[in-house]
Amino acid sequence: MTEQRTDLLRGTLDLLILKSLTLEPLHGVGISRRISQITREAFHVSFGSLFPSLHRMEERGWVRAEWRTSENNRRAKYYQITSLGREQLKSEERDWKRVVKAMTTAIQST
Amino acid sequence: MLRGLLSFCRNLLRKTSVEADLHEEINSTVEILTEEKMRENLPRPEARRRALLELGGPEQVKERIREARAGTMVEQWLQDIRHGFRTLGRSPGFTVVAVATLALGIGINTAVFTIVNGVLLRPMPFPQPERLFLVAYTPQNGPFDNGPCLLDRDYLEFRREDRVFEQIASFAGGSANLSGAGDPANIPAARVTPDFFTVLRVNPSIGRDFLAGEDQPGHDHVALISDSLWRNRLAADPSALGKVIKLDGDDYSIIGIMPIGFRFPSNAEVWRPLATRIDPHASMMRPVIGRLKAGVPPRAAQAELDAFTRRFPSIPGEDRTAWRARILPVKEMLVEKIRPSLLVFTVAVGFVLLIACANVGNLMLARAAGRQPEIALRIALGAGRWRLVRQLFTESLLVSFAGGTAGVLLALWGVQPLLSLAPDGTIPRTEMIRMDGWVLAFTMCMSLATGMIFGLVPAFQTAGRGLREAVNRGGRTFTGRHESLRGALVIAEIALALVLLAGAGLMLRSFLRLRAVDPGFRAENVLTATVDLPDSIYRTASQMQAFHEQALSNLSVMPGVLAAGAVNWEPLGGNLVKGDFQIEGGRQLPSGYMVDKPCVSPGYVSAMGIRLLSGRDFTERDDASAPGVVIISRSVARDLWPGEDPIGKRISMEEHPKSKDWLTIIGVVDDVKQMSLSLKSDAAMYQPYRQVARPFFLSHMTFVVHTAYDPQTIASAMRAAFRKVDKNLPVQSIVTMQGLIAETTAEPRFRTRVLGLFAVLALSLALVGIYGVMAYTVVQRRHEIGIRMALGARSGDVLGMILRRTLLLAVAGIAIGSAGALALTRVLAKFLFEVSPGDPSTFVAVALLLCSAALGAALIPARRATRIDPMLTLRYE
Repeated sequence: MTEQRTDLLRGTLDLLILKSLTLEPLHGVGISRRISQITREAFHVSFGSLFPSLHRMEERGWVRAEWRTSENNRRAKYYQITSLGREQLKSEERDWKRVVKAMTTAIQST
Repeated sequence: MLRGLLSFCRNLLRKTSVEADLHEEINSTVEILTEEKMRENLPRPEARRRALLELGGPEQVKERIREARAGTMVEQWLQDIRHGFRTLGRSPGFTVVAVATLALGIGINTAVFTIVNGVLLRPMPFPQPERLFLVAYTPQNGPFDNGPCLLDRDYLEFRREDRVFEQIASFAGGSANLSGAGDPANIPAARVTPDFFTVLRVNPSIGRDFLAGEDQPGHDHVALISDSLWRNRLAADPSALGKVIKLDGDDYSIIGIMPIGFRFPSNAEVWRPLATRIDPHASMMRPVIGRLKAGVPPRAAQAELDAFTRRFPSIPGEDRTAWRARILPVKEMLVEKIRPSLLVFTVAVGFVLLIACANVGNLMLARAAGRQPEIALRIALGAGRWRLVRQLFTESLLVSFAGGTAGVLLALWGVQPLLSLAPDGTIPRTEMIRMDGWVLAFTMCMSLATGMIFGLVPAFQTAGRGLREAVNRGGRTFTGRHESLRGALVIAEIALALVLLAGAGLMLRSFLRLRAVDPGFRAENVLTATVDLPDSIYRTASQMQAFHEQALSNLSVMPGVLAAGAVNWEPLGGNLVKGDFQIEGGRQLPSGYMVDKPCVSPGYVSAMGIRLLSGRDFTERDDASAPGVVIISRSVARDLWPGEDPIGKRISMEEHPKSKDWLTIIGVVDDVKQMSLSLKSDAAMYQPYRQVARPFFLSHMTFVVHTAYDPQTIASAMRAAFRKVDKNLPVQSIVTMQGLIAETTAEPRFRTRVLGLFAVLALSLALVGIYGVMAYTVVQRRHEIGIRMALGARSGDVLGMILRRTLLLAVAGIAIGSAGALALTRVLAKFLFEVSPGDPSTFVAVALLLCSAALGAALIPARRATRIDPMLTLRYE
């Protein structure tokens, strides 16, 4: 998707969210905590960015949302990655690697 | 696109529930965060404060979510649309052909729908028309022939008993001779009961409505006139109220002027009061209209009517079971006849549109195949398959909406020419025919539907294919799936075209049969003029005979006139009088045997060129003082005097003939088509007009002259000849006999022409489709063809290969189409004259036409294939 590639940060956030959902469905707070965990606390995603991104991905059919009861008996909206989302994740991972490789080469060239 | 559309609709329709969901999600997030903080032993208020802080303001978050949701959709839509415009712009040839094809298909559908909408769907222009109903006898099965009506007796009875109608009125259409307002003219005129306009809830724009009691003798010389009559003949004079005009020689004072455009019933220019009373000798049948009380369902009215007819079994004719009293929407009276034709046209143009869709679908497939490299690249770059489908589909919709827009323009231009194909009076309610919101909505839906039909399959076919396949083939080769889909589309096109061609072919055959019917008289070089003698001026038979005699002598001396005559009910004029008679010697007529009884002048038989088979024609000497004579038609001679000479036999029209009532048969003439070319000739018995004493047989007379040259040229001289006899008498119509015949065949000709036009369109589109597919096949297979030719195939083999494939598709399409046509042409049965809906020769002719046309269309690409240079294609590969 061209528009993601032009916006690297947003693309990165989408990638992180999709990645965090590959194991199990999570609610908003869960996703935020999982991202911190898998990036070893390097990224803290603000909810002000996380939720719009989640909803956008839901519109695009990359994730599916449903209301469930959380472990503490609280109703929460859980997000689950779809097969379309998995394809998207694969392509974003590929793009990201390409960018990283290109950037690394560029930086090391001089 | 579809999903975006759905979610857009969901967001719009369930805005509140989307909002509630959002609200709940944020709240639950705050709670989860609060509980998380409370596990760090913070008191709840503090935990909640920190939770809100971390979330960053619930309302701001919600707002950003809303923006994101709307943003993606609009953004992706716009992007798809922009992309669509760009790619379409890159292939203008494709775009123009696709849009033009659709414009044709959608345009013709829009035009037909504009007419259907105006004629059949729009309500009548009265307040609350849904509560207006006709009360009428209708045949149990099938439409009524002479319009819906009720016996006066039943009308009065029903009106007295009825509980469900607010008011019930009766009315009758007709014509009247107008004088005292411009040139004398015969104008459409209606008679209505005084409450008629109250039932319709239409008031005169100037003046007043009829009052109760104005239908009674002495008070009934009042009239309402139409706005157009007021403007054209009374110069829109405001003082026209109270002015006296003459209708059929009687004075009527104008009491009101109806609103602009109001001409109900039967295009009336003037309305006079109608009295309904029970006459023991004759009961008139007239249309009856009523306005249902508010809140009463039509079902209740029908139930009341059923109960009524059970108690008063006064249904006309002997066969009670064939009739039923029913309530009908008022519109029925106007649209009953045209509806079947319009429905046939609607289906026909639907087929044309489907063929157009198949063509554009084929173009899309061909184009998609050409775009394989681009698509492969985009899939490789990670474009989602769904997104690609959506994008291709957006392109289809852009094309279809462009086609729809062009179609509307085409329809705007095309409705009038289409209507002008219809003879006057065939299409009612033409004033309602216009492009309105309904038509535009219909076109929108049709554009969307066509976009889906021709766009979805190619979109899935193209984008749905796996990446590997796309990359491997690299856009060079077509796939078998495409090829067979294309073949299926061509078969469908041919099948659809065949159905239309078969329908049009049947109509044409039927029309030609109708035209070839021998009417029994010579139609060439005959001019006719009809006059109605008002009984207020011509009171006796001898006054009328004097008029006829004078008129005939004026006509016969006109230059160019070879013979002149007169008849009271002219052939194909739509009227006749039938009756029985007595045969001298007491022989009984076969039961139910009736003959037409025209009354004619000497010279009529020769002026009309009716063949005199034996005996003699009437002469001037056959007058009231001479012995009574008649001429019989061939069928009468055959039916009553088989193998005998009827000349000299005597008959009488009277029930108890005295000796002077016996009429001698002096001649036998050929049968004449009296009612319609499509009906069998009626037996007829002619009487000389001077020996007829009843004014009823003499007041309506059609004069015919046989001219030496083009009869049109003496029309004005003919008018002058009548004016010399009575200057106040309007001549109703001066038409040639050929014109009259054309008029009676006008409706079949109209149906044949319109259906033929649609069939030709369908055929052309199908041929363009076949040409396109074959041309594409040749391009795709040029490599293979090149190899074949390199291996020794001759150009004849290549030609044969392409034509064989075309023939295969054509035959398959014809087989399927014939099955469909056999099922569908049955609805045409009632339009056909001496042709069965499954007429084998028509089907064979149509199939052959289609086959040869298909081969013709494929010939161009096939010849191109034979010119392929093997070396060139091999090198290219």
